[in-house]
Amino acid sequence: MTVAIQDLDFEALAAKQQVVQKGVPVKFIFAIFISAIWLVPFYYLIISVFKTTEEYSVNHPLSLPSGITPVFGNAVVAWQQAKMGAGLLNSMLYGVVGAGLAVFFAALASYGLSRIDFRRKNFWFMLIFAGTVFPFQMYLIPLFFGYQKLGILNSQLGMLLIYTAICIPFPVLVLRNYMNGLSREMDEAARMDGAKEFSVFWHIILPNCRGPMTATFLLQFTWIWNDLLFSTVLGNRTEVRSIMNALQVFQGSYSSTGPNVVLTATIIASVPSVLLFFLLRRHFMEGMRVSSI
Amino acid sequence: MTGATSALAAEIQLFHDKGFWSEPLQTVGDAAGVATGNPITQVAYSTPEQYKAFIQSAIAGGDVPDMFTWWTGSVFSELVETGALAELDGLWDDLIASGDFSEGTRDFYKVGDHIYGVPLHLSRWVALYNKEQFAEAGVEEPESWNDLIAAADKLKAAGFTPFHATVQDGWRGFIWFQEFMIRTDPEAYRGLHDGSVAYDSDAVRNAFEIWSDWYAKGYFSDPRSNEEVADFARGKGSIYLIGDWAIGLIEAAGMTAGEDFGVFIMPNQDPSLPASVIVEGGPIVLSKGALDKPEVVEALKYFVSVDGANVWAEASGNSIGNSNAEPPNVLVAEVNQQVSADATLAIDRWWEAVPGDIQGEVVAELNRFMLDPTMETADEVMANIQELNAEYWADN
Amino acid sequence: MMAATHLSADNNELLERISWSQIEANERRLQRRNFWVAFAFMSPAILLVTTFLLTPVVYNIFLSFTRWKKFKGLDEFAGTANYVKLVTNRLFADALYNTSLWVGASIIFPLVIGFGLAVFLRGVALERTFKSIIFLPRIFAPTAVGVIWFYVYAPDGVVNRFLSFFAGGEVDIGWLYQSDTVTPAIIATFVWQTVGLVMVLILLGLSAIPKDPLEAARIDGASSGQVFVRIILPLLLPTLLVVTILSVLAGFTVFDLLWIMGAANPELRTLSLAVFMYFEAFQKGSWAFGSSIAVVIGAVVLSVTWLQALLQHRVDKMIR
Repeated sequence: MTVAIQDLDFEALAAKQQVVQKGVPVKFIFAIFISAIWLVPFYYLIISVFKTTEEYSVNHPLSLPSGITPVFGNAVVAWQQAKMGAGLLNSMLYGVVGAGLAVFFAALASYGLSRIDFRRKNFWFMLIFAGTVFPFQMYLIPLFFGYQKLGILNSQLGMLLIYTAICIPFPVLVLRNYMNGLSREMDEAARMDGAKEFSVFWHIILPNCRGPMTATFLLQFTWIWNDLLFSTVLGNRTEVRSIMNALQVFQGSYSSTGPNVVLTATIIASVPSVLLFFLLRRHFMEGMRVSSI
Repeated sequence: MTGATSALAAEIQLFHDKGFWSEPLQTVGDAAGVATGNPITQVAYSTPEQYKAFIQSAIAGGDVPDMFTWWTGSVFSELVETGALAELDGLWDDLIASGDFSEGTRDFYKVGDHIYGVPLHLSRWVALYNKEQFAEAGVEEPESWNDLIAAADKLKAAGFTPFHATVQDGWRGFIWFQEFMIRTDPEAYRGLHDGSVAYDSDAVRNAFEIWSDWYAKGYFSDPRSNEEVADFARGKGSIYLIGDWAIGLIEAAGMTAGEDFGVFIMPNQDPSLPASVIVEGGPIVLSKGALDKPEVVEALKYFVSVDGANVWAEASGNSIGNSNAEPPNVLVAEVNQQVSADATLAIDRWWEAVPGDIQGEVVAELNRFMLDPTMETADEVMANIQELNAEYWADN
Repeated sequence: MMAATHLSADNNELLERISWSQIEANERRLQRRNFWVAFAFMSPAILLVTTFLLTPVVYNIFLSFTRWKKFKGLDEFAGTANYVKLVTNRLFADALYNTSLWVGASIIFPLVIGFGLAVFLRGVALERTFKSIIFLPRIFAPTAVGVIWFYVYAPDGVVNRFLSFFAGGEVDIGWLYQSDTVTPAIIATFVWQTVGLVMVLILLGLSAIPKDPLEAARIDGASSGQVFVRIILPLLLPTLLVVTILSVLAGFTVFDLLWIMGAANPELRTLSLAVFMYFEAFQKGSWAFGSSIAVVIGAVVLSVTWLQALLQHRVDKMIR
């Protein structure tokens, strides 16, 4: 499953490495060389959005733009032609609600799997976890027909349902492990006082799981934001398609716009998730830690 | 319709896969609302394959959209065979009686004994040319095959690339193939589509030889462009063979029809052949159930009416072949005139005529040839296509 | 009760008061109650996962043994006809070949380069900055990365301009248009995007290695090469295993990058099994045939996952 471990904590990694050698110039120069190669596509991306289509087609792809104003024109064209407003809103909806519901349902299930005693727990856990072992290709055709039958093909509801479902198993794995590690005294005490199971879950366990829940939410949000496959198969109408699908269609469309405009659309589509990453790097790192248990 | 009923107007949806025409289609839909009280809402699917899958499964599930677009040719017959479509014979009788449409146009949508569609657009595949480059190279609109080759040589000598063709979006590979076929051997071209002529026959080989030879002479532009229309506007090729629906796109890219670029119909290699042109006529069809919904039938009638055709022409640059409507632009008017003056034959586009099952794989092979236009590749391509073709006709 | 006669009268009385069967019944009742409470908690997850993930898998397998008629839907049971067709299909063979190139490349390159960078960048000045740069592409969606590189590889794009600069003459290679360059070119993009993650996972693995055995080995006079092979490598084995499996699965099911970057290639449909399946099902409408390709993909993915579980078990044992 592509629940990728998205981040790392560079600070912590560096701290763990106690060996701090003296910078060897040759190594340093080679490191700069490698980094430069890694950055060329980003450099190209950034300068291209400041070019007009004419400027782009005439000049060297790595030449500096002659001004910065064309970016506004490019953004307007990209925004209008690729219907990016709708795409961003849809992806925001799928990401926030889909990942949010998935993590909440996963927390509920994990509570049942970790805090309540009953037999054959493992069977129920494996049943939910089985949702991650199959490649996505095996879902596509039946989902397409099933959605068609239910009348939810190309609807926001349909997209939310599959995104929620597909994002449940991984947080269940993480949250079940985490809840197993929590002390049982608190909830036993609460039960003694006559608290209902749900209020034990809601008032005692949930507040203790904020860390891993935020972390898994961010991972699932990013996954939904980046998804192209399900959006291409199940959500193709302009009104319901996700931002990545909108970008894909825009790049392959009959539009007479140049690469500069498509690249501007690429940046617009990437800003939200990239920004989120930089703002919440610590939580992404937490996601990494909990998922490597 | 009265105001009271229009407040409760049922939503009429037109499903289609032409995302690039969403806005102009909605313009017509809104105009229909003003004229009939029931606006049409267009619903775009973003890729043709997704759209086909959607319609196929809708029909399999028995829940067919009231009004949607399709293609003519073999995929049309397939659709008609399902029995899901409404017969529009009555509607067409009126259209012809009013003098808006010709019987030739009607027959484009005939499968067996009945008519099942009206034109969403009716486009001729013509040569659009860069007037400035023609003037600079001292070239006139070619009237014969020899004229065409002489023009290509002159353009080449003047530093221009005579023909503009790319593999953009993966479907364009058939354009020049079909043109070479109909200009050299239209009989064989028709035979390709019923399995009676093989893709490795002499007629096809001859077409590939001309094609390869023209590539070797440097007549064609780089097929790897992803901005075909923009590149034509930038002057990267002098002659652009494409459906006349592209005129609107070229104007959007900065050229003015009639001033910056003109149009001619490609000449035949064999002068004894009758004048002909490739015609593409995407249909709008109705489901059987839609016949019971008067508002849907009204909406369709509006679309093919003179008013509807004018709004659509103005918004998209497309003609639907309504003789009493205004042509969408000067070039289409010119083509109309030329077609009626020369009694030009309409020939089905390859894309519609070829069996839908092998269409994608065959066009991919044609694209492959354009990217490596040697006779060696041509031989491989012909063999591969014929393998697919033979397999298809053996099964069907 | 025979045994009870040896007990004191008090105890005997006590025992008789306890009904064992009742305790068992109580226990069972409690278990049952607990189960239903737990089930209530699990039900949204179970409902969604079974409806939208597990049922489709079963239906997909079923579909792959049927024949699908266009516009009519499920036609009839077809036995293994779809699979027979698969074995003899030229395009399937091409797709399989390209997929195995992907799997091979995605085992070797990310691992070797990621490992190399992890070791190489240790202790270099500005280490954190360099690592962040290498990781940067990972933050972008594959779709966005595909779009950027689509233009980077264009005939007049960055790659060709670079090569022209070094070659002196004009280089005009259609990287994404030719069948012999398209797969390596997209793999290069894939490596560019994924190496950062692999590097970080390896760094995490390295930092978890205890220092004591290393010290001991050094004191015993082992060379750094020996330390690496005898101590670091075995301890890093679990990490390497996870990284390898993740890479194999990613390489095997790759879709987004190919879909975007291969869009202009005539052989797009055979660039990987995932793309081939998409074409057969969603373009040609060969639904049943498409579902049999999905089953093949599923079978391979499940075997790889199973192999991982097996190896993981072995490795865990070996380390202990």
